[in-house]
Amino acid sequence: MALVQQIQLQSGGSGVRGASARRIAGSPALRVVGRRLLSAIPVLIGVTLLTFAVMSVLPNDTAQAVLGLNASPAAVAALNRTLGLDQPFWERYWHWLVNVLHGNLGTSIQGQSVNHELAIHVPTTLLLLLYALVVSVLLAIIVATVAARRPNGILDRLSLVVSMLGLSTAPYVFAFLLIIVFAVKLAWFPVLSGPVTGPVSFFKNLTLPACAIGFGLFAIYTRLLRADLVEQMQREDYIVTAKAKGVPPWRVLIKHALRNSMFTLITVVGLNLGGLVGAAAIIETIFQVQGIGNDLLTGISNRDAPLVEGITLVFALVTVLGNLLADLAYAVLDPRIRYGSSTS
Amino acid sequence: MIDALLQVDDLRVTFSVGGREVRAVDGVSFTVDPGRTLAIIGESGSGKTVCCRAIMGLLPTGTAIGGSARLRGAELLGLSDAELRKYRGSDMAMVFQDPARSLNPTMRAGLQITEAIRTHRKVTKREAETQAIELLRLVRIPAAERRFHEYPHQLSGGMRQRVMIAIALACRPKLLIADEATTALDVTTQAQIMELLLELQEQLDMALILISHDLGLAASYADEVLVMYAGKIVEQAPAARLFGSEGAVRMRYTRALLDAIPHLERPAHAELPVVGGRPPDPTALPPGCSFAPRCASAADDCVAKAPALLEHAPGHRWACWHPCENGVAS
Amino acid sequence: MAAPLPDITLATPVPPPLPSLINARRLRSQRLGRALRLWVPVGVLILMLAMCFLLPLVVTLPSATAGNILYNNEPPFSPGHWLGTNVQGVDIFSQLVYGGQVAFEIGVAVTLIGIAIGGTLGVIAGYGSGWVDAVISRVLDILIAFPALVLALVIAEGLGPSEFHVILALSAFGIPAVGRITRGTTLTIRGLPYITAAELSGTRRWRITVRHILPNIVPALVTFLLLGIGVVIILEGALDFLGYGIQSPEPSWGNMIANGQQVLTAQPEYVLIPSLALLITVASLNMLGDALRERWGTQ
Repeated sequence: MALVQQIQLQSGGSGVRGASARRIAGSPALRVVGRRLLSAIPVLIGVTLLTFAVMSVLPNDTAQAVLGLNASPAAVAALNRTLGLDQPFWERYWHWLVNVLHGNLGTSIQGQSVNHELAIHVPTTLLLLLYALVVSVLLAIIVATVAARRPNGILDRLSLVVSMLGLSTAPYVFAFLLIIVFAVKLAWFPVLSGPVTGPVSFFKNLTLPACAIGFGLFAIYTRLLRADLVEQMQREDYIVTAKAKGVPPWRVLIKHALRNSMFTLITVVGLNLGGLVGAAAIIETIFQVQGIGNDLLTGISNRDAPLVEGITLVFALVTVLGNLLADLAYAVLDPRIRYGSSTS
Repeated sequence: MIDALLQVDDLRVTFSVGGREVRAVDGVSFTVDPGRTLAIIGESGSGKTVCCRAIMGLLPTGTAIGGSARLRGAELLGLSDAELRKYRGSDMAMVFQDPARSLNPTMRAGLQITEAIRTHRKVTKREAETQAIELLRLVRIPAAERRFHEYPHQLSGGMRQRVMIAIALACRPKLLIADEATTALDVTTQAQIMELLLELQEQLDMALILISHDLGLAASYADEVLVMYAGKIVEQAPAARLFGSEGAVRMRYTRALLDAIPHLERPAHAELPVVGGRPPDPTALPPGCSFAPRCASAADDCVAKAPALLEHAPGHRWACWHPCENGVAS
Repeated sequence: MAAPLPDITLATPVPPPLPSLINARRLRSQRLGRALRLWVPVGVLILMLAMCFLLPLVVTLPSATAGNILYNNEPPFSPGHWLGTNVQGVDIFSQLVYGGQVAFEIGVAVTLIGIAIGGTLGVIAGYGSGWVDAVISRVLDILIAFPALVLALVIAEGLGPSEFHVILALSAFGIPAVGRITRGTTLTIRGLPYITAAELSGTRRWRITVRHILPNIVPALVTFLLLGIGVVIILEGALDFLGYGIQSPEPSWGNMIANGQQVLTAQPEYVLIPSLALLITVASLNMLGDALRERWGTQ
């Protein structure tokens, strides 16, 4: 359980979570959610502020870039005024913030509404990440359980080797390996991803990118789950009780140990969610998946501040949501927190 | 002669820790008759828990186990885990020390009981649930139907232990081993649980093995007492004889344990005669009597050669070169 | 970014259950296994470091930035070019060596900065009073939620790409990661009874920090350091690959892969060679981290 506590503490919550969780009675899930959301607000503001600041650091030649090198200074100044780029930093941020609260994320310098851009591209990235997550989690559960059945056995060692590889391989490197083998040599999948219109195109276009992202995730989850399972099987007393009942070993592993390990897994999945979107960006570029990661990179090279700020907001939201999920996993799923202690 | 329920002969359990051999149980033999209560008393590290876990088959895989343990004539040691599982939880069951840690915190109490039932009997979920609630009533848990659906942390320590007992009794075992079952509980609850165990023993005609470090427990509840030290039995006798007014305790260690129990009759402010020193390092056992380093009356032959456990008096075995006379340490 | 930072608690080495029979042979092979798991990665890393930093001092390598177009696309083991040359005729081995220097420099620099700043913040947050913790935690949360990718790209765009800027950008990622973990470990340690005892006996807080908390954090940090360097090297490669870090013609493993992309089907070795170097380096770091954790016990 020490593993569990450490994960709890690392979720960056406010203060000592253990104590506050114990004090929770009544509707614990809601209170945790409320707390989390409350602390999420300064984070969101901080992130967006930071993004704004960072984008302002760039030489202010956006308007110039849009109009071209031969544009007259007057035209540039006019465009600057239209885009609101000549206002002081804080005013711009304030306007942006107000707009965001109204649901309007502004207009990219390309002329389209940022909302529109996001609406098109977010689902694609979402699908890709979900695909990668679901597959990697499922595989991790299977592999870790089989490995934990006989620690230091053949299958266990194999799983350790594979997960070490997954941990040590850069996703973009693995992406190329996948391309060489599956797209070029075997031609099972296209090299570049096309639009996803239905289930067939979903699998055809997103499988390779999902694998590229998923391999690293699979490695992390497998290692974590395996270690947790083995530790439980060796050290926890309720495992001995289960064995004493005569419960067969597989059932002990799955119904008792795995059940308790799921919390840790969900927490880690949630905490890593934020970094996941960043990883997706590179993979999207390689496979030309039309997601927000790809958008972000184009946006930065175009000095498209509104677009970048909008996308960063989405990234930050995902991270916050991920942390929330990690906390909820405990508040809702762990019966100790969900039900509190009743008097008896 | 009633056939013994459990017959243990020369049980040996050896671990290997960091390359060194640990003889956790070193030639232990005893018999448990049906419906009787045996108390195994010893300090931590004496091997009492290891001994019973060996019989149940709950030791880590591959631990070297030797000797014989027969349950109703069937040899348990040497069986594969799959075969042993048929007996575990159905013919013989165990209750553990810390119910807070021994129950799965994320599984409802009732389901942990039905699991014990359904592992050995082919019954539907509904039937198992009914049986489980019956068991909860059997162990005197009020509002059994409600408690069935609760999680362990929602129950008090005493109730958790009752749930553990219910789990152990699920298939009406003939042998129940209580491994320090009351140690983690407060004194009042201890007494309640012990009373419960005894009533259940009579109701279900079970043999009971009580593992404890508490001699008082043995005195109050056991028919026969086994005292273990450093992996060996050092004294064995019916409880009446051992704790009776004649004070027939022979082995120095048992004597020392008895003396260390505070009595009301003792003069006030008298120093409690505790047993000095610590339990021996299991990897470096002395060649002679294991208790010699701590024994007040150790002589040269005690250090040189280990005394054998012999039946010096009817029903009473001890292993000591210089046993107490008349129950008094001389 | 690339792989999400592996948490130190993703410990794989769990001490095996009591080794059963006193089998001298099995014990020896276990000891051998454990020693190998420690010293093989150490050896590999020393080899890599020697190759990248010492070799150029001893042997004159062909230029890693400029090449003779007449000798392009030479296969490995050609005379004068141990691993061949790339499309522009630049020697691949030299690129590997100098790219390796950059990788290690950035990896170590970022991790050290992360530990210095992030570690300090984490300890202060973990041990300090409520509002200090709250403030620092929020700051760390913000930094974590902020895509360091954006920062790195923007810095590269605005200030020009260079090794130094890459270090800056990646530090923004490294600091909160270390901070979070240090904070967690500090909180755990702080809850231990002997800390309370020390406080009650009047020991000053900073003394407790130095005497009790820091020594307990060090093992966790060292293993984290190793994993961290690996992750940073991968991230640095990613930045270079995207064109925002070290840019061609300056060599780096990342842009070697990027350049090799274009001829992936025809000459996969341009991508495979730096990828292999990356894999071996990061795997060795990870394995070393595992082996050390095995020795010192899981935190």
